[in-house]
Amino acid sequence: MPPKPPSLAVRPVTITAVIDPVAALATGDLDENLYLYDTNRKAGSAGFGTPGLRTRVRKGDTLLWNVIPLECETFVALSGIEIDRRVADPVRKFYPGTDIAFWTATVKRDIVKPVSYRLSFLLGGVADPFTVAAEQALLGADKEA
Amino acid sequence: MAQQHGIIVLVDVDNALTDRTLDGNAFWFDNMKFLGSTGEGTEHLVTIVPGTYYSDGSQATEQVLNWLPASLGAVPPTVPRNYLAEQALQTDRDALADLAAVGSGDEAGIGRIKDQVGVNAKQSRAAKGVTTAKVLDATGRVAGQNAAATYNYPAPVITDITGPAVEQQIMYPAQYGSPDMIYDGWYWAATVDTSRPGIYSYTMHIQLHELIEREDGLVWQPVDLTCTSALEIISDPKRNAFTGAGLGVLPIPDLPPAP
Repeated sequence: MPPKPPSLAVRPVTITAVIDPVAALATGDLDENLYLYDTNRKAGSAGFGTPGLRTRVRKGDTLLWNVIPLECETFVALSGIEIDRRVADPVRKFYPGTDIAFWTATVKRDIVKPVSYRLSFLLGGVADPFTVAAEQALLGADKEA
Repeated sequence: MAQQHGIIVLVDVDNALTDRTLDGNAFWFDNMKFLGSTGEGTEHLVTIVPGTYYSDGSQATEQVLNWLPASLGAVPPTVPRNYLAEQALQTDRDALADLAAVGSGDEAGIGRIKDQVGVNAKQSRAAKGVTTAKVLDATGRVAGQNAAATYNYPAPVITDITGPAVEQQIMYPAQYGSPDMIYDGWYWAATVDTSRPGIYSYTMHIQLHELIEREDGLVWQPVDLTCTSALEIISDPKRNAFTGAGLGVLPIPDLPPAP
């Protein structure tokens, strides 16, 4: 019998990227057409609606990144997360029964200073990922961090 | 512009349910920033609608708008429309298949299958558009005994569109059914009268659903809220987004451009 998976005690902190893929492909500028949000605004996350989202997290939090395109006919996928693996080690998973991916990670340690990271996306039929020029960050639970 | 406008309303459902308001908890987008829409990604979107006439001076056609609500912190709307319902059925099928392999005295095995099946919630009579009774979590898996803390927020449901843009007959919103009606296949669209330039606001009536634990089980409880947006109809001629010119034939080059 496979071991019982540990049940999640709480909802993950979700970070959602809203992208206008047609505008990003037409202009070559991802940052101008990327809007980031998370579900932790009340805990002190900042930079909503910009590529420079700063998400407040605690050690042990489950993080989940997903994407919403403004054009449902155009392919958009989160292709990579460049982050210090000692803080979080994101892995790609799929919503069961689909080929729609999300990325998830557990915050491994208390964050004292903000930890920057960078998201990359695949847009349309372009083979090379677009990397966001602005930095995203994880902030510690302490509001001063 | 024969192209249709797509407008997305992204709702931070958890905070909206806590606050009982969409103020600060709804973010609006359209795909017309390049034509002059403002406030993308904020609560103050003004959707540009160019075109009372074509570049040759003739009267333009109406503009079509489509609205899509989405919930922040939930399974995204890129999954198939009937995804949650299909996933609920699939988890039942999996559990049934496993049940056949579990002996009658195998308490641990039966407990595991109970976890696989998860919990169901009843639908309140006033609730609209909750796709499935089965409670799934934000990763599309079955939510277990702590479902009320981990459940996936169902997509917000638009129940009406009102306000000056409707009263002044600038736009004519209506709810349409997609061919896949079994699974909550409804959406709102409108045609816009492009002959009267100006800024016209409208109010979106949105129903969210929260999971309430009652003595007789879980219930999807509807919460009705509103938020506002605006259309700005301008007198610039409609134009082709690729060429910037009129809506005639696309200028196709003799040869494909060099890579």
